[in-house]
Amino acid sequence: MAANDRCRRFERLVLPHLDAAHNLACWLTRDEDDARDAVQEAFLRAYKFFDSLRGDDARAWFLAIVRNACFTLHGRNRPPGIMEVLDEELHGEELIAPGPTPEAAAMESVDRELVNAALAGLPVEFREALVLRELEGLSYREIALVANIPIGTVMSRLARGRRLLQEAILKRLGKEKTNAMR
Amino acid sequence: MLCVETNRLLHGYLDGELDLASALALEDHLRECAACRERFTGQQALRSAVTGKARYHAAPAGLRQALRTRLAAEGRTRIPAWLQPWPATAMAAAALLIAVTAWVTVHQPPAPTQVAQAPAERKLVYHVNSSDDVATAFRNLSNLLDAAPRTRVVVVAHNSGVDFLISGARDKAGDPYQPAVAQLKSRGVDFRICGNTLGRRNIQADRVIPEAVLVPSGIVEIARLQAEEGYSYIKL
Ligand SMILES: [Zn+2]
Repeated sequence: MAANDRCRRFERLVLPHLDAAHNLACWLTRDEDDARDAVQEAFLRAYKFFDSLRGDDARAWFLAIVRNACFTLHGRNRPPGIMEVLDEELHGEELIAPGPTPEAAAMESVDRELVNAALAGLPVEFREALVLRELEGLSYREIALVANIPIGTVMSRLARGRRLLQEAILKRLGKEKTNAMR
Repeated sequence: MLCVETNRLLHGYLDGELDLASALALEDHLRECAACRERFTGQQALRSAVTGKARYHAAPAGLRQALRTRLAAEGRTRIPAWLQPWPATAMAAAALLIAVTAWVTVHQPPAPTQVAQAPAERKLVYHVNSSDDVATAFRNLSNLLDAAPRTRVVVVAHNSGVDFLISGARDKAGDPYQPAVAQLKSRGVDFRICGNTLGRRNIQADRVIPEAVLVPSGIVEIARLQAEEGYSYIKL
């Protein structure tokens, strides 16, 4: 493929997903500068390996490269531990034991800061699944491709992620109330 | 369907990932079981909190511009100069190759023509099953029709997503929905509303605005459009 054609095709297929890439990178790295580095690096890698994109799902393909770039960056620059991945299969009970019901009223009253803080505080694999699902609207199949997990794990990861998020929000709401009373 | 089964499938339902039969069975259960219904409502509220309140970090203009410039430079020259000076690239390349290979293995390549040819006519069915989806859907649709005016779009409203098609309905800012619906309708968008939902919620059919068409079941309509008319499914 001529450089120019390749370039134009890349621009058409990959550039539209730059917002998604940056959003994912920000949520994974929790740092704007790191996110910017990761997106730039992913962009270069994606261009280099562009010929490996066979299917039509450029978004999932590009986001997979972005998340790898984020993890590579953090693996190099950060202490280990952040990327420790739990074995979801051990947590299959999430799907059977429902846990507490999120209170609709509490969720409606909650402010942006609190939601951001609660989501940012989740272990990275749950944060990733929730961001891909709720903010990017990816299907389970696409999430599986990006996060490199079986499709069956996607639902359990989301179920557990939502439960952890709900607990984190309620806990922060409780703290706010306690502080207000002092 | 039992509560235990409902709990197992609730997230799949919330995410629009269930097959039709399971979705219908789960809806039947939700109609009858207050505890599961409450859990479902709670999950919807949690979702709204995240989609409506979590920060979306769009790419800064500077980053977009920098990448565009690099790409343009790449189009003019055969030597990808900007690929070289990145020390991380070489290190990461090996790892990435493995990832990419794995990705390609999972993602079976379609026939090459699929990539090369522009689709003759795109057909999309939007599933609006919560009133929170409506603003997103309108924005999304109007962008879509600007970019690809020939796209055939059907919006199927279902569950709490039917509200915006009821006469007199207003959005959170207090503006009526009907002018926006009429405008999209004039651009060729079809609106269909789920009769089952209306029945369940005791809404008389004559309260539906004239722009919308009543179908017996929203879910069945979506399945039919996909299976018989080649529509792609968009869940908001
Ligand atoms: Zn039940």
